[in-house]
Amino acid sequence: MFLGIDIGSSSSKVAIVDENKNVVAAKVVNMGTGTNGADVAMQAALDEAGITLEDVKYIVATGYGRLKFDKADVQITEISCHAKGVQTLVPDADTIIDIGGQDAKVIRLAGGQVENFIMNEKCAAGTGRFLEVMSRVLNTDLKDLSALADQSTKALAISSVCTVFAESEVISSLAAGEALADVARGANFAIAKRVAGMCKRVGTGKKIVMTGGVALNDNMVRSMAAELGQEVTAVPHCQVVGAIGAAIFAHEKYHK
Amino acid sequence: MSIITKKITKLENIALNPAKAVAESCKETGKEAVGCFPIYTPEEIVYAGGFLPVGMWGGKKEFKESEAYLQGFCCSIIKTNVELGIRGAYNHLKAVIIPALCDTLKCIVENWKIAVPQVPSVAIVYPQNRWAAGSQEYLIAEYKRVRSELEKITGVLITETAIEQAYELYEEYRAVMREFTEVAAKYPQTIDAKKRHLIIKAGYYMDKAVYKEDVKCIIEELKKMPEEKAKGVKVVATGLIGEPIEVLDIFVENGITVVADDLAQESRQFRTVGRPEGTIWEKMAGRILDQRGCTFLAEQKKSRGDMLINMVKNTGAEAVVVMMMKFCDPEEFDYPVYKAQLEKEGIPILYLEVDQQMESFEQLRTRIQSFAEML
Repeated sequence: MFLGIDIGSSSSKVAIVDENKNVVAAKVVNMGTGTNGADVAMQAALDEAGITLEDVKYIVATGYGRLKFDKADVQITEISCHAKGVQTLVPDADTIIDIGGQDAKVIRLAGGQVENFIMNEKCAAGTGRFLEVMSRVLNTDLKDLSALADQSTKALAISSVCTVFAESEVISSLAAGEALADVARGANFAIAKRVAGMCKRVGTGKKIVMTGGVALNDNMVRSMAAELGQEVTAVPHCQVVGAIGAAIFAHEKYHK
Repeated sequence: MSIITKKITKLENIALNPAKAVAESCKETGKEAVGCFPIYTPEEIVYAGGFLPVGMWGGKKEFKESEAYLQGFCCSIIKTNVELGIRGAYNHLKAVIIPALCDTLKCIVENWKIAVPQVPSVAIVYPQNRWAAGSQEYLIAEYKRVRSELEKITGVLITETAIEQAYELYEEYRAVMREFTEVAAKYPQTIDAKKRHLIIKAGYYMDKAVYKEDVKCIIEELKKMPEEKAKGVKVVATGLIGEPIEVLDIFVENGITVVADDLAQESRQFRTVGRPEGTIWEKMAGRILDQRGCTFLAEQKKSRGDMLINMVKNTGAEAVVVMMMKFCDPEEFDYPVYKAQLEKEGIPILYLEVDQQMESFEQLRTRIQSFAEML
């Protein structure tokens, strides 16, 4: 068995693949780097696969916590791992939009390999953190934000790209009597606009897919498609794509 | 310790401890120092006056006092200079020379007089229409004004003969540096990305007569060794400066070697060969008028993209790394132009947005490691 672990800023993801590169376990724990989330997620995945750590031949760690995870045989960046995961799950994809807890990345693929990529700067704008802040202001669970946005009847623009300013802008909108649903949709569009700008810098291909926790938000995926004027789909198991990629790398590294 | 290791370690220590290095250089040479802001200043005039020209390339300092003069989006190099100036770190300088080469510098030319009144300043405005016939005449007049203002501040007469001698020394220094960058590219293990940067940077805190001999020695020692193979990716670096230094540590960790550069703090200072003919003033002006591919000196047709492509081809580099200092608008404006040219040639680009006050390098680590993995 081969294990990939993606230790992100807000969650830890683990995937295990067998000798034939089939995914036999995949787990997400909402605790990121600096917590014991990595160990919890790994144990949960091992339990799901019905194996122990001794049965794992090779471990690849990715994500921001990759360098701090001492059980890994090797560390590979999440950019390479997301590309590897997408190559396996959606072989014809040539553009990946990965929006995680603290950053956003646009990755271009050519022949399954990373051809180019861009990451957002050290700023919460255009990331999952932005949605977390918005859901708090809207007094809604993060997972319910998409359904709330679906109820929107009018486009409400959030012009501030800065998360802190956007928060006060949203509070002003709510004070002015704007509907929660319109604000939720506006928040999704604010991210979509920001990430679309990144797509412009690196260019998009013919098939765009989304990975990362933010891709769980259907309304966000549709907002992204509307902003880009192209079809955008969420990769199945979008949160664990990086971990799956890492597990496949583990398989390849072991057999090299 | 071998001669080469000794020399490299000496220059590394100087580059990492500029204040101490300048104090020691002043003590050793008996000279007083004059600060030279980025990007270009006529150091030869300073040297001819018997002073030590010292590079002022910012540093890692928390901003407090400078906030009164410069907004958050201003260049961190200049902001650090102002911060240190207000705090009194430059009180030992006889003067500073500030070229008005960007919007931030233009404003600091004026604000310095109020913010740091204890350190006299001399402004220099370079011609932007360098292809116009009057540019040379204008630039020579500016150089002569700088000389005259320095004479007034220091009370030292700066003769043309002394400037000629200083220019000769500087031309020799520049030739040595051109050779160093060429030779160093053949020894990527001995001269890794960090060492290369520090060796070049040390020259801004030393007397060039001493420094060039140290670099010559390194070149000679390198030449005695068999050429080395790069462990990983060979790149050409472009931008303002190759810092923060932690970025270069990440380069080294990921086997990224800088085999040539177009950095303002490095090769842009010495890549242009002086004109053989003319008066000393014409020769000095010629170095600015003939400089190509630098965003701070306008060109009718931007040559930076073609220059970078040639650098990649000539050195066997696999990619270009852009060290983009936040928020350097001249550099930002150049980027889309040369990016398109590099992409057309299929040359990968790693864009790193940096500033001197950075504390967290994890995002940059991911970018750099991903880039190395991609190649």
